[in-house]
Amino acid sequence: MATQETLPAPTSTHTRPPRTRSTTATRAPYAFIAPFYVLFVLFMLVPILASVYLSLTSWVGLGTPEYVGLRNYGNLLTDSSFHKALVNTLIYVAVAVVVIVPVSLLLATALNARGLRARDAFRVVYFVPMVVSPIIVALIFSLVFDQNYGLANAALKAVFGVGSVDWLGQPTVAKVAISLVMLWRWSGYLTIFFLAGLQNVPKDLYEAASLDGAGWWRSFTSVTLPALKPVTAFVAVTSFISAAQIFDEPFLLTAGGPSDQTLSVAMFIYRAAFQRQQFGYAAAAGVVLFVVVFLVSQAFNRLLGIGRTK
Amino acid sequence: MSTTIHRPAPARTERRGPRPGRVLLYVALTALGLVFLAPLLWALSSSFKARGDIFSSPPQLLPGDPTLENYRNLLTTQPFWTWFGISVAVAVIATVVSVFVCAMAGFGFAKYEFRGKSVLFSLMFSSLSIPFAVILVPLFVLLVKAGLGNPWFALIVPWVAPAFGIFMMQQYIVQSIPDDVLEAARIDGCSELRTFLTIVLPLLRPSLGALAVWTFLQSYNSFLWPLVIITDTNQATLPLGLQTLFLSENRAYDLVLAGAVLATVPTILVFLLLRKQLLEGLAAGAVKG
Repeated sequence: MATQETLPAPTSTHTRPPRTRSTTATRAPYAFIAPFYVLFVLFMLVPILASVYLSLTSWVGLGTPEYVGLRNYGNLLTDSSFHKALVNTLIYVAVAVVVIVPVSLLLATALNARGLRARDAFRVVYFVPMVVSPIIVALIFSLVFDQNYGLANAALKAVFGVGSVDWLGQPTVAKVAISLVMLWRWSGYLTIFFLAGLQNVPKDLYEAASLDGAGWWRSFTSVTLPALKPVTAFVAVTSFISAAQIFDEPFLLTAGGPSDQTLSVAMFIYRAAFQRQQFGYAAAAGVVLFVVVFLVSQAFNRLLGIGRTK
Repeated sequence: MSTTIHRPAPARTERRGPRPGRVLLYVALTALGLVFLAPLLWALSSSFKARGDIFSSPPQLLPGDPTLENYRNLLTTQPFWTWFGISVAVAVIATVVSVFVCAMAGFGFAKYEFRGKSVLFSLMFSSLSIPFAVILVPLFVLLVKAGLGNPWFALIVPWVAPAFGIFMMQQYIVQSIPDDVLEAARIDGCSELRTFLTIVLPLLRPSLGALAVWTFLQSYNSFLWPLVIITDTNQATLPLGLQTLFLSENRAYDLVLAGAVLATVPTILVFLLLRKQLLEGLAAGAVKG
């Protein structure tokens, strides 16, 4: 769509701009964006700096933080819980980017089928899980995944004749269960972006492709995918950021168990600070997460050209 | 916005009759829809079951003997309406303020050229990739030290300028507000603020709706931050209240399910009422950016 139109300098088009107007016009944009930056500094920048400071201290939440240099970071290196949290978080990220994003693209492609009826109804139904509060999702799924009385095992029993899977108690299966909940909750949401992207692909590109004798797969790879690159980039980066800081699902479904096998980094931070009063240690883990997430997503944005002012 | 182009050519499919591939597609899409809805419908159905029937083997799809007992118990034994009131009030205030702040900033970025614009924009945009977990601990410490750990400040003020909302607004304004409208207002002697309030805001209505639903849902459903900052049980939000029930030693599923249903009703209603704006508004920012 027409985003390349550049803005004319506001006062240059008519000949006699009143003097006062032009000075307010130059100040106005700063006034418009100021609230964001005030809040940004107070509630993001200051906390991040405070986090860096806290990460160099040992502090139980009372009294004065005691400076300990890089000791917290050293301890993170050897903390097996933190390693598990990192690996698990990496798995959640992989599930989000390698499974959920392609599934959403597939869903969107299906919904984009020509002349599909009730497209909007499907779109709305698939989106509904995103509207429901995570705590409610978690408590519903803890029922669904209940070993003896749950819907998941009942369905397995009905279809395959066997089904007493310990969904939330067995390390590998618990990760699968959490991934399924992520899939259930996120795919309809991400589909929206892909579907809008698909509907923006100029129709004549497809016609040209089919005139050239390209089949469905060929036109998908040579027309659809390149056209979807910006949307895919946006969706992939957003999913990466959300999965990297996942908290609600593992916290509420498994509380990180069994034995930290579903613990995420965000949960590790929460637990260190608010259950063990190791504020400095929690801050150090936060800084690590921040550095990784920020650098990776900035690299992606740079690489894929997301978020330019135009 | 361009949503009308995908109109199908209806004659074609009807003339040929339903092709097998098409039937399969509908079956698959409907089955998927059921997968998305089944857990929610099962929870809805279970909320009307007697306490003993919630856990039964095999699971009952429909309550054998539907009862309102769970709802009655919830509302008489738990301060459900207090939680509900706090959640709704916080979410409504946060939504109103945040929609306004985002529209303003989006307008500033979309319709003005000024020094430092691209740096400021990148700064704003990069704040999208700051994980909340890094802010969690220090923000908690700072707000508690400042005595601002109450829901009315802590759950609202830090969250009223989401970069995502500003980005969405900026995209929408670039596409839908023509420069000559603003130019005309300036010639008529409107101040910049008045132009924004009386001319730009009304034109933004569809995307304001989208942003409003999104912000409302984010605030109403947020869990981790309230979990950390709200220590007084009398100020619990709905998710916190439900979590307390959920964690209580007997896992009060009967009460929790009734609460979950009541808590979800407003979100589903808001979503269904404004679904079109929300889905299109969300997509517009990403697709056309």
